[in-house]
Amino acid sequence: MSLDWLSQYTVTVLILIFTTMGLALLLHLQLGLTGIGNFGIVGFYGVGMYAFGMFLVHVPWPESWGTIWPFLLSLVFGTVAAGLTGLLVGWLIVGLDADGVLLGTLGFATIVYGLSQTNRSLTGGAEGMGTTDYPYDIGSQKVNTLLWLGILVVVVALLLYYVMRVHRSPYGRLLVATGQNEALARSLGKPTFRAKLVMFATSSAAMGLLGALYGVMLHYVRPVELGITVTLAAIVGLVVGGATRSWGAVVGVLLVGVLFELVFMVWIPFPTEWRGAKLPVIRQMLYGATLILVLMTRPLGILGRMRRDKTVRSPDRG
Amino acid sequence: MTAEIDRGIESPVEPERGRGPQGWLRAVNRPIVKWPAALAVLAVLVAFWTIARQSLVIGVVSDAPLVLAAIGFALLYRLTGLINVAYSETVTMGAYIGMWVNTTFGLNFYLTLIPTAILTGLFSVLTYFAIFRPAKLRSVGVVETIIISFGLSIFLRYGLQFVFGFEFRYYDVPVQKSLSVLGVGVSPFRLTALGVTLALSLLLIWFIRKSRAGVRIRALAGDEKLAQVSGINPLATTVLIWFLAGMAGGLAGAFYGVNTSCRAWLGWDQFLFILLVVLIGGARGISGVLFAGLATGVALSFLELVPGLKTTPVYAQVIVIALFMVILKARGNRLLEAGKV
Repeated sequence: MSLDWLSQYTVTVLILIFTTMGLALLLHLQLGLTGIGNFGIVGFYGVGMYAFGMFLVHVPWPESWGTIWPFLLSLVFGTVAAGLTGLLVGWLIVGLDADGVLLGTLGFATIVYGLSQTNRSLTGGAEGMGTTDYPYDIGSQKVNTLLWLGILVVVVALLLYYVMRVHRSPYGRLLVATGQNEALARSLGKPTFRAKLVMFATSSAAMGLLGALYGVMLHYVRPVELGITVTLAAIVGLVVGGATRSWGAVVGVLLVGVLFELVFMVWIPFPTEWRGAKLPVIRQMLYGATLILVLMTRPLGILGRMRRDKTVRSPDRG
Repeated sequence: MTAEIDRGIESPVEPERGRGPQGWLRAVNRPIVKWPAALAVLAVLVAFWTIARQSLVIGVVSDAPLVLAAIGFALLYRLTGLINVAYSETVTMGAYIGMWVNTTFGLNFYLTLIPTAILTGLFSVLTYFAIFRPAKLRSVGVVETIIISFGLSIFLRYGLQFVFGFEFRYYDVPVQKSLSVLGVGVSPFRLTALGVTLALSLLLIWFIRKSRAGVRIRALAGDEKLAQVSGINPLATTVLIWFLAGMAGGLAGAFYGVNTSCRAWLGWDQFLFILLVVLIGGARGISGVLFAGLATGVALSFLELVPGLKTTPVYAQVIVIALFMVILKARGNRLLEAGKV
């Protein structure tokens, strides 16, 4: 099978798009259902990425274990580490209102970014550190990356399935109720704080897993990867698709990702000298403008209202 | 049954549990005891401990722009209830406008502050009319408004980067001789920043508490409909708030710019600390913001100066952010009374 039509770069961008889709799905649980505006997604993603990398590189794995076991164990470690930080941060912030959540999540992302630059012996400092190649080798670099894309798509599909299950479960309805009117939900004896905390910790763990998976594709983790763009892409994708719908994240991220990352950055033949500095800056401006336009004109995203629209929050809440 | 109801009526308000200390602590906690005691401890520390002296001077002087920016942000937050992430770009705009006026017209730095403040104020009003007023008229929710302001912040930040490029830009100012304050060298610009911050905050406190426009502003923040019925023009008053906030942000940006350099990320780098200071200190009005801002500066420089800790600026920031998050958790971030500045 010839793969000449598909460039290595396009596959990497697709991996980026699917990672963002996973993050947006998890943000949908936090923002769309529960009303927690997480602006520090990249922090949890970064914890997963770095915890995975550091665990894999610094633990003296016995030779007899091969490559796959240390790899899987490190993935689990990254996920658990992100989940535990999610638990801690969630305990600090989920009881606060929108301003406190903004502060807490932004602050957490800043802390992670700051710590990733220090402790050179552990994290490699500002230059970053090499982690690992894919835990398999089935041919050329492109084929390996394609298989990784496939694995990522499976993970994201599982996340979508989980989110849809949450929508139909009593736990999901509790989250929606908490997002709409927490005082009412609590007065009916529902443990709103615990529900929010559990949701925040599990979604943070999954964000960490996505970060670790993306880190494997990078082969090299650097603080530069933990910029605001990750959070921004997930928020824009989710908002464009519709924050209250589980398919919103999928549709929105696909649309925004393909449009901005592939069509705008790769397929439109802009002059070459623009590619270095100008295009990425314009792309970020477009992201910002999209966010404003969509929320002003179509606050529920392109998918619009939900069937269960009465039970899910309307845009004029608060 | 009746007895129970009676008891309920007898003590409708439960005694304040867990609010405020008990016994002798309550006596110590009175302001007349607390503040002089704190000041005395501070004075002793500063007199006998070099590190305390250094961190006090460095922290107070170098974080004066932060206080100024936080006051502007607090005006918007307390009076219009809006968390404006794009405020960080108002600060950046102040730095760039000041740089532009300073280098294009060759004005003295102190003179550039006046056009900078006015132009940034107008810019702030412009963002209100372009984005936040339409958003309010469409009754966009709280979280959604934060996301909109986040989008605006990204748009403006990268827009500035597109226009001015990645390189840092500098003010054209003569090299300053540093002055000695309590044995610590300080640049005159930083001292001016501190002076302007203190003067402006006193002015703002007076303006909002005493002047007619200030009363209107507070009335509008307290109850918009009632204010409207009483003949207050809500639009003019809101524009005034945005203008004042923009002025404060722009001046802060100009001081940041002249102390270091102008870059598109200048405001965003400070935004987290602005937010921290406002959410922690804002419940007590402008004086609370002033106090929290200066305390943040002193704490940051103290953590960097303590010899045993070997803290880099990054660690100091991490510690302060984590500490403030814990404070916020312990206290909750309820807005006490709308319009109390």
